[in-house]
Amino acid sequence: MSTDVRSILVRAARVEARRDGSRTIEAEHVLLALAGEHDSEAAQLLAEVGLTEDAIRSALNREWEQSLAVAGIEVRTGSLPEATPERGRDPQMGESTKLLLHRAMEAAPKPGGGRLGPMRILVGLLATERGRVARTLDAAGVDRTALRARATEALAAGTR
Amino acid sequence: MTELVDPEDPAAGLAAVVALRRLADRLEDSQVERAMRSGWSWAEVAEVLGVTRQAVHKKHARRLLAAGVALRRR
Repeated sequence: MSTDVRSILVRAARVEARRDGSRTIEAEHVLLALAGEHDSEAAQLLAEVGLTEDAIRSALNREWEQSLAVAGIEVRTGSLPEATPERGRDPQMGESTKLLLHRAMEAAPKPGGGRLGPMRILVGLLATERGRVARTLDAAGVDRTALRARATEALAAGTR
Repeated sequence: MTELVDPEDPAAGLAAVVALRRLADRLEDSQVERAMRSGWSWAEVAEVLGVTRQAVHKKHARRLLAAGVALRRR
């Protein structure tokens, strides 16, 4: 694969951000983009633990509802009024995406030539206990530690 | 809702802040759209939101034009 996987992922993540009505591309949009790259081993690993795109979307909504409940707000997020997304809008990378890309570059083995494949991005995504993705995986009942170990192992074994 | 969240847990409290911002953003986008579709002016929307007309225009005009909302002048 000679195409820049990073640009593919950022492009797909941007579509997710736009669909979400978000002004920035956040880590959860990257997670959805990763799950959507069906041919990649990263997407297959996600699917093995039940994280298909649909499952991620419903877990994201559940996380949203649970976090609103902390503030005493009970909302079924699925029944919120929709806003028409702006097709021409170009969401920029948010802080959570910058962090995960940084962590992906730091993961062993150090990438040569700045190559950033799906598995490396997944490792970067899972390298934190904080933020919406971690909470969403918890809401989905996924063992994050085990998933992270498998992704790290796959990356170390040469999966890009 | 079955999950009882510990109000002493800052992780939950901070996640609630993020969730509330998402909710406010979603409501703002959908309700500004609804108001403009029903013929409100930017000035009226701005007054209710407590921001300047320029601010609400800058934030929403492009999206609403693209969505085919007929916007009133001014």
